Amino acid sequence: MYQQLFIFGAAFLGSAVESTEALTIVLAVGLTRGWRAPLLGTAAALVALAVLVVFFGQLIVTRVPESRLKLLVGTLLLLFGLRWLHKAVLRSAGAIELHDEDRVYQQTVGALIATESRRDWVGFVLALKGVFLEGLEVVFIVIAVGGTGRGLPVAVAGGLVAMVVVAAAGVVVRKPLARIPENTLKYAVGVVLASLGTFWVAEGMGAKWPLDFVSILGLAAIYFAASRLAVVLIRRPVLA
Amino acid sequence: MKFLSAALTQVIGLFVADWVQSAVIVVILAAGWLAFGRVGSATLVFLVLLLAGQLVWFARAEARRLAAAHKGD
Repeated sequence: MYQQLFIFGAAFLGSAVESTEALTIVLAVGLTRGWRAPLLGTAAALVALAVLVVFFGQLIVTRVPESRLKLLVGTLLLLFGLRWLHKAVLRSAGAIELHDEDRVYQQTVGALIATESRRDWVGFVLALKGVFLEGLEVVFIVIAVGGTGRGLPVAVAGGLVAMVVVAAAGVVVRKPLARIPENTLKYAVGVVLASLGTFWVAEGMGAKWPLDFVSILGLAAIYFAASRLAVVLIRRPVLA
Repeated sequence: MKFLSAALTQVIGLFVADWVQSAVIVVILAAGWLAFGRVGSATLVFLVLLLAGQLVWFARAEARRLAAAHKGD
């Protein structure tokens, strides 16, 4: 039960962040050029992503032995989570700019205005590309988080609920969800995915964690402490 | 074709931002795997500390690189 909740939460948070980014692109196209083309592009991307989830989800769950799956997916999840955490540390320390949905929205609108004379397929392609590329991360998170822990249906549910919540929020406010603390969410998801990846990769090696799945909390505490240490060290002025 | 190329770049970019850092992580895991057969569960402690340590090291190194590049502008 605890494990299933954790899987749902990780899939939900990761998918919510990526869905927010995809929503910004679809809104920019829809509000600038009308809704038909971007909605068709979004639908096409969602179908392609659903096919990927079903195909790869079933493939890895049914064909790959569990220990190898844990080693492989754990390694990929660790690389993925640490990449997010690395960026979150740099953003948190002020070394790189925070992700800003308003700015992404304005850039997309600017690009659309510059191509005003073209036909409506620009809106279709932009929405398709935006949703598909952001959705690839959702697909990976859902398959990696759910496939290894025998919780694929729970992970898929977490991803779908996140997409529906974000889409509903977009329909209501009709502008980019700039108030969502996206950078904080990415930080949290980075810690969770890196911890989950470490847990599974070690199990794939044959290790048994003390307290089993609960030890993920300890791993999360260690990664969080390390990331805060990195932020402090980066912010500390260098003595000449 | 451009779309496929963007998708492939995106897929690789999911796991690799800095090739050196990714290689270090894979080497740590491979060393952990080899050590686990001989040392046992104590390997877990070193594995986690090394993974956390590389996060601090590479984040700090990139922040320094970025700061140096800003000064150079």
